[in-house]
Amino acid sequence: MQSALQMDHGEGLPGAGDVDHEKNGFNPSETLYDFDYGKVSTLANGQTLREYQIVVINKNIEVVPGIEFPAWTYNGRIPGPTLRATEGDRIRITMKNGSNHPHSMHFHGFHPGEMDGVPGTGPGGMVQPGDEFVYEFDAEPFGLHLYHCHVFPLARHIAKGLYGTFIVNPKGGRPPVDREMVMVMHGIDIDFDDGNDFYAVNGIPFYYQNHPIQIKVGEKIRIYLVNILEFDFVNSFHLHANFFQYYPTGTSLTPTEFTDTIIQGQAQRGILEFTYKYPGMYMFHAHVTEFAELGWNGMFQVLA
Amino acid sequence: MTNQTSPETKSRFSLRTAVLLLLPITLLAGVIALFLRTGGGLNLNSPVPIEDLTIERYRLERGHIELFVQNTGPETLTVASVIINDAVMPFTVTPSADIRRLGRATIMIQYAWTEGEAYGVRVFTSNAIPFDVEIPVAFVTPKPEARTFWSFTLIGLYVGVIPIFLGIFWLPALRMLGKNWMTFLMAVTAGLLLFLGLDTLNEALEEAADLPATFQGIGLIGIGAVVTYLLLELVGKTGSSERSEASQRLSIAWKIALGIGIHNLGEGLAIGAAYNVGEIALGTFLVVGFIIQNITEGLGIIAPILRDRPTLGQLALLGLLGGGPAIVGAWIGGYTPSPFLAVLFLAIGTGAIFQVAVEIARFIQKDTTREAMPLTVFGGVLTGMLLLWVTGIFIK
Repeated sequence: MQSALQMDHGEGLPGAGDVDHEKNGFNPSETLYDFDYGKVSTLANGQTLREYQIVVINKNIEVVPGIEFPAWTYNGRIPGPTLRATEGDRIRITMKNGSNHPHSMHFHGFHPGEMDGVPGTGPGGMVQPGDEFVYEFDAEPFGLHLYHCHVFPLARHIAKGLYGTFIVNPKGGRPPVDREMVMVMHGIDIDFDDGNDFYAVNGIPFYYQNHPIQIKVGEKIRIYLVNILEFDFVNSFHLHANFFQYYPTGTSLTPTEFTDTIIQGQAQRGILEFTYKYPGMYMFHAHVTEFAELGWNGMFQVLA
Repeated sequence: MTNQTSPETKSRFSLRTAVLLLLPITLLAGVIALFLRTGGGLNLNSPVPIEDLTIERYRLERGHIELFVQNTGPETLTVASVIINDAVMPFTVTPSADIRRLGRATIMIQYAWTEGEAYGVRVFTSNAIPFDVEIPVAFVTPKPEARTFWSFTLIGLYVGVIPIFLGIFWLPALRMLGKNWMTFLMAVTAGLLLFLGLDTLNEALEEAADLPATFQGIGLIGIGAVVTYLLLELVGKTGSSERSEASQRLSIAWKIALGIGIHNLGEGLAIGAAYNVGEIALGTFLVVGFIIQNITEGLGIIAPILRDRPTLGQLALLGLLGGGPAIVGAWIGGYTPSPFLAVLFLAIGTGAIFQVAVEIARFIQKDTTREAMPLTVFGGVLTGMLLLWVTGIFIK
């Protein structure tokens, strides 16, 4: 009997049941708060240098109980590590290709053409298996960005799992909050028919539904929200029983909207800030509701 | 040494023969063992998993959907996820989510479906291979209980039994016809049977297309049809020389009834199964169509015995044999539709019908040896085929 699939959590909710996070090598509970600031040092000119190590590997990831997805990953996880720096820092990312396909890292932001990670722009555009390449540039502009593989066929290279968040803090930082989280919205095409079979935030469908994110009444929450969904045009984020300030692309410190639902197209992203007034269980999910029932569904457990 | 048998036919079976017979089999076992151990130098491991899950049927009850599945792939597979209309649903699998080759299982899905709506169910195996089944119209699947049992019986009565008996009621009138008319009617029957045989074969082929590859549907049709044909030939030849013409004619009538009966069993199976999943509404028009078409089958059964005096009991049994199986078919199709059985029955029907058609042709030939192709025969066969074609327009 497959009883484990329906017993553990949330009666009446689809998608209950757990995957083997240990075997997967990452856990969305940790991904949520995991920011990689790199190895920090100071250059001769006084500029801060941040060095990051990335390895591309093929890895089977159990995305829903019982089903393994043959993923392509940065550092063995979906999404890849959240790289974080401050505007003007020197960024040095050493990407080793430990897989059997050529791959690259293409960052959104300012950088020279040969650091764009696109085939045809030099050796960084297509790093062959066993090779490595160092992407180096100044982190700018400040805001919420992303990186992903840009080797063709592009949709497949992204859908297989090669993407991550790139946060550039403004000099002096954003106003302080109590808790910062990163959420990467994506799809999983487990049967390779160029259509998503499941949807998720941070790698595993239904994860935050089965493992609610615990926060407290009055805590100021900031979410770095990135949409890297392939095959479907739009994704969305809807917060229950609350409203949030929205900073599209995070490139301004002034919010553009006070709302409870935002829409993001492919590669769009933005920062959300909110506080809960009352304790309780509150859902957050794609208001593209068919995504919600296929995995893009989560809960905040607000404690008094 | 015995000399009771002639040298040509004398069996020389001895221990030596037995050893020689076993030699290739022993070698074969060796080759298989070697192959299983070494793979014979071929790289037989498929880079991708090959899986096949046949969703044989579904059953809807308040608050849940049951899928009856069979693993028709080469290896054990595991049911990992069920999605209904783009929503992941909780489910259980009995006896186990791991289904071995040709093993069966029942997938029970908790789902508050709504009457009259359509659902698409997708089952993912652990190798992320999807298998789909459509539920075109959702309604509670009829259970074997008195009420539904009776309605399936009624379906069988309407499409099988009643029309055939109506056809048999022509007997007194047709008995008054002359010999040429009787030949014509026999030819009509042959035409009817040829058309029915083709129709049955077509249905068998259609069903076979839905059968998992493991069961080799086309081969199954061949076996069912050919064996039935040969068996009926055998039955017909046994002791035919000492039997009277009349009893031969009666035996043809029995065979026609049997062939038509098996055909109607197939028809019942199809109607019962379709009715069960809401694919046909057995509207008044359709039932009237079936009655009009199948009345000709009753005519076919009595055609060979027009000049004889069958008892009422014989006529009743002939009618039941021809029409009754429609009821049995509706029960089977309604409660446990099995594509395998459907193909087998339809194949048997095909063989039976064609054998009887050939037998009638031989019979007509005996009566009309002087002419090459009398107009009565030509017109009769054509009439018989056209009758079913035209009345079929009302049903298809």
